[in-house]
Parts: sequence; structure tokens; C-alpha cells
Amino acid sequence: MVAVKSVFAPYIYVCTRMRVRKSKLIPRDEYMRMLNMSLPEITRVIQETEYKQEIDELGTVFKGIDLIEVALSWNLAKEYQKIQEITPGNLKEFTRSYLRRWDIQNVLTILRGKMQGEKTGKIKEILIPAGSLDRVVLDRLLAEDNPERIIEALRGNRMYPVIAREYPVAKESGSFSHMENELYKQFFSEIIAEAESGIKGGNQFLDFIRFDIDIRNIKTLFRLRADNFEEDARDMFIPGGMLTLTDFSNLNAIRDQGEFIEMLKVRIRNKFLVALLDELKGQTAVRDVEVRLTRVQLEQMESLSKRNPFSIHPILVYLEKKKYEVINLRALARGKESKLPSEKIAEYLVV
Amino acid sequence: MAAEIVAAAITDVELMKASQIGMKALGAGMAVGLTGIASGIAEMAIGSAAVGATAENKDVFGLVLLLTVIPETIVIFGLVVALLLIF
Repeated sequence: MVAVKSVFAPYIYVCTRMRVRKSKLIPRDEYMRMLNMSLPEITRVIQETEYKQEIDELGTVFKGIDLIEVALSWNLAKEYQKIQEITPGNLKEFTRSYLRRWDIQNVLTILRGKMQGEKTGKIKEILIPAGSLDRVVLDRLLAEDNPERIIEALRGNRMYPVIAREYPVAKESGSFSHMENELYKQFFSEIIAEAESGIKGGNQFLDFIRFDIDIRNIKTLFRLRADNFEEDARDMFIPGGMLTLTDFSNLNAIRDQGEFIEMLKVRIRNKFLVALLDELKGQTAVRDVEVRLTRVQLEQMESLSKRNPFSIHPILVYLEKKKYEVINLRALARGKESKLPSEKIAEYLVV
Repeated sequence: MAAEIVAAAITDVELMKASQIGMKALGAGMAVGLTGIASGIAEMAIGSAAVGATAENKDVFGLVLLLTVIPETIVIFGLVVALLLIF
């Protein structure tokens, strides 16, 4: 009786919709089949799935790889906006908070594109208006002539203080990586504060955020090892997860891969992650490590969504899996366009 | 005196019979009412999921309609118990 009372009917409704949508995502076998196809064949297969409307609409304007790229971006944005519409109550707040990470990506894409003198149309093709900055706002930003005016147009947005503070450094160095780190740190600290503010369901959202932060920090550690980065890496650490800044610095200082993994295993408690780290001993290809860490993240999210079937978790699982479907299709199309061998493309797929 | 005692005993028996009928009616009412509430709670969850699934895939409408009405059996059992109590 208690269990029944605590579940709100709209939560059941929306979580079921997310499960049905998840079941419609492209399965592993289909990706394997697509690996042996040409670009027009892949386009035709995609057209037979959930991307039909976008491919049909854009088919007259774009061709080949551009058609796939734009159709995938449009579909992803449409899907995310639709989910924001149908989620009820607190779930809507959490979904919006989660999707705000797309604002960071969009603003940085515009700034980077403008700095490199890319055409407005080309930048627009890769924007995903899924966050709080909608298509109209992004068009307004794109219409500005230079990065300074874009930053000024963002005045009032929660990202503005960080962007305004970091821009002079980024302009001088020609790299937005530090600004990106700072924006993600701000984003994660804000969503942790929201999840901890006592809103019902916040704890479940917090579980996801903390694990997401852990995976990001571990990926950063593996990348730093692969690049033999000698400078202070503490700037790249995102607080809020299970690892502390001291753990991060200590782990980064360890040169031996086996010792590094053993030390990392002591710090984490997640069984999926521990099992993966055992398999990663001796593994050096950072791309492979990243893909496997992403798979573990999705497995963990799937497990959480089964434990809490009517919470934010089924929604987040779908949002993440949808994102990786788009990334996979893009990788497939780009790989085919560049005439990469199928085995090489398969390494980049998260299935 | 004896006649008065007999009359009181008859009145007690009648009261008891009336009380039994009342209790049966109350039991029958509770059997239908409580099972109705239980069916409602069960159908709320199944119905929400059914509408969600149908919104995404219209082909499952027939199946989910069937699943939604399965908790109706609870209230039917309640009704049977109520009828057995009354008749």
C-alpha cells in the first residue's frame, strides 16, 4: 500500500514512454549490419527508423554526410524537447537541469566556430538546441559578429560570469579548454545543489550525477596518462564525485598502470567499475578505455533504473542511450565517408 | 410477569435478527467498496503505463486494454462475496 501510494501516476506514464522509446533504439546487430554498408545504404536504413521525418524534410536541402549529420542533430534536439514537455513535476526540473549541459556545448561550439572564422550555416548544423538556450537564442548568438558580442548577448545567463571571466585567457591562449572545464565545474556544482535541495527524488538524481562525475574524472585520468601530461592536472578535476582532489592528484602522479588501477579500485565502490578496472590492466588504447567506461556508465544507469523504475533514472537512461545512438550513427557515417575500415569504426561505437 | 419476560425475549431475538441483517448488509457493502478501492489503485498504475505505452505504439492498445481490466476481477470477487452474504 505504501509503495503504491508513493508512486505518482504521471511518473508511471512517462517512465513507460521512456521504456518504449528505449526499446525502439537501434540494436547492436543493426550496427554490425550497417558496418558493411555504404553511406547511401546507411542513410536508407536510418530513414526506416525514427529519423524518417528529419531525413524526408532535409533530403531536398542536404546530401550525403551532411544530410545524416543535420538529420541526427535535429532528431536529437526534437526528442529532448519532447521529453521536457511530457515529464511531470520534479522530473521536469531534473530533466531540464540534466539537459543544461547542452548549453555549454552549444555556446562553446559557437565561440570556437566564430574564433576560427567558420560560416554561420556550418556552425548551426552541429548545434543541438536541447538545453535552456533554444533555437531562437542560438540563432541570435550566431548572428553576432565576434565572440565579445556573443558573450555580451549571454548577459543574464547563469554561464555568463564564468564565460566573461575566462574569455580573456581563452582568447590569449587560443584554447577554450580551461573555460570548458570551469563551465562544467559550475554546471555540476549547480545540479548537485539542486538535487540536494530537498526536492522529492533528488537523491536518485544525485546518484546519477555523482557516478557521471566519477566516470568523467576517471576518463580524464586515463587521458592524462595517455598524453603524459606533466603540468598541474588539478584544474581538470570535477568535484562532487567519490574521488577527492587529493585522490585525483595522487592517482595522476602514479606512472605504473597496474599500480594506478589498484589504487583507483580502493577509492571506488561500484561493482561494474571495479570489474572493468580489472580488465583494463595492461590496456593502453585510451579510446577503447573511454568506450568501455561509457558502457559501464550505461550499465550502471540501467541497473539504477531497474531499482527505481518510476524515478528520474529511466528518463536519464533513455536520454543517454539516445545521445550515444546519435554519436554512433555519426561515427558510422563519418567513418564510411572517410573510407575507414569497418573494424576501426566498430572501435568507436558504444553498443 | 411471565408474559412480560416472554415478550422481552422475543424483542431481543428480533433485535438480534435485525442486527444480523444489518451486519450482513454492512459486510456486503465493505466487500464491494474495499475491493473497488483496491481495483482502482491497481488500475491507476496499470492504466498510466498502458496510456504511456499506447502513446508510443498504437498497436499495443488491445493488449494493454486487456491488462488494464485484469484488476476488475478483485471487485468481481468482492461482489460475489457481497451477494453470498445477502442471499
